[in-house]
Amino acid sequence: MCQISYVKSTFGLASRSERPIRRKALPPRTEKMDVDQDWPSVYPVAAPFKPSAVPLPVRMGYPVKKGVPMAKEGNLELLKIPNFLHLTPVAIKRHCEALKDFCTEWPAALDSDEKCEKHFPIEIDTADYVSSGPSVRNPKARVVTLRVKLSSLNLDNHAKKKLIKLVGERYCKTTDVLSITTDRCPLKRQNYDYALYLLTVLYHESWKTEEWEKNKTEADMEEYVWENSSSEKNVLQTLLQIRAADSSGAPSREELLGTKEVEDYQKCVVRLKNEGENEESLAQYKESVKRLLNLECSLN
Amino acid sequence: MALSASVRSLGVRVSRLRAGGLGVPPGVRSLPVSPQVLACSRELPCAWRALHTSPVCAKNRAARVRVAKGDKPVSYEEAHAPHHIAHRKGWLSLHTGNLDGEDHAAERTLEDVFLRKFMLGTFPGCLADQIVLKRRANQVDICAVVLRQLPAHKFYFLVGYSETLLSHFYKCPVRLHLQTVPSKVVYKYI
Repeated sequence: MCQISYVKSTFGLASRSERPIRRKALPPRTEKMDVDQDWPSVYPVAAPFKPSAVPLPVRMGYPVKKGVPMAKEGNLELLKIPNFLHLTPVAIKRHCEALKDFCTEWPAALDSDEKCEKHFPIEIDTADYVSSGPSVRNPKARVVTLRVKLSSLNLDNHAKKKLIKLVGERYCKTTDVLSITTDRCPLKRQNYDYALYLLTVLYHESWKTEEWEKNKTEADMEEYVWENSSSEKNVLQTLLQIRAADSSGAPSREELLGTKEVEDYQKCVVRLKNEGENEESLAQYKESVKRLLNLECSLN
Repeated sequence: MALSASVRSLGVRVSRLRAGGLGVPPGVRSLPVSPQVLACSRELPCAWRALHTSPVCAKNRAARVRVAKGDKPVSYEEAHAPHHIAHRKGWLSLHTGNLDGEDHAAERTLEDVFLRKFMLGTFPGCLADQIVLKRRANQVDICAVVLRQLPAHKFYFLVGYSETLLSHFYKCPVRLHLQTVPSKVVYKYI
């Protein structure tokens, strides 16, 4: 190879004039750089660290005893780490200026979150993955999540309850958000279409009423309903007994139900059962029971 | 003598059967009986020496330059052992394959091995230190520190040759970045 022939020539003719003269290495470019030069033209793209092109006296390495970290010439540690010399604020400003031509204004009508939600109720979440290597494909990129608030869908009471029962865990009660995650198809596009199809099917199915839905028992109910419940029966029975004992005449059930105290009691019981027991609901229940049974005491 | 008598008697018994024309019944082999077996069976007394051993504990030799008289120059890379990686040393090859949930780490490692061997062979005697490989999306940046052994035009040729060959081989852009030093950068003498 070339190297071998070079060595042969030195063996044959050892005189200095015959040997090809090796040029001395030039001083590094850093000595000719101005302080106010255009840095983005020295490092226009991501490039490894070039000690002859970076005019900073950078040192890197664990020092020997009573020594200093190694200088930048021939420093492998400085080569190993990723550098951001191509992303100075000046360079980034220039990138933004160049990208401005491709950007459009945000629509002025959508200036609040509520308006965005009103006009675009469905939100789609997808993830794209970048990695180093010749292949662009990543199987994790096919997952699509569709999120929609049920308040933005046109559902009546029955349809909403049926939809919530159909989707099960995918509905979050606190935020009223239904999230459908699909990944059974190999492509993102296919998963997106499948998610929209699922939403359409759920909507239409929840509006239909099947034969067997008439068999809904009290155990299937999502929230406490006071009509025809044991609490209603107990209250009416108690009040009838009180009235009968007073011998002021037995009022009918409808009249009793219509009185303010019974309505108040109904609201308190419903609140207790649905919201759970806390200070205010228990206090309210206590007050309504006292009023119902005319137990207003003059103490506290 | 009793030893040999019993051995001989075993052999004689079998050979008598053979000689008698009956032949050895199928499934019976004439076993060679060793002296150790006879000794362990405690029927016959004989000398028995044992060798005591403990489990072997070998020293770590990976990527370590053994200490010499104080005249061996080592570079920063050679001077630090593998347990200093991430404390005093960085990584020579950077790619996303070893991150959590990422694939194709083995393919990248295989490419790394080939690239190191290729560079070692293309720049014989010129490499001052290990090659640093960086991958960004699909392109590969090979950073090498070279000595000024060859004239500049030969370096340029080798750079162009390696870049073209490797790009065609791996079907992705491969770039070579050389940094020349007058001599190998010495960290310390051990």
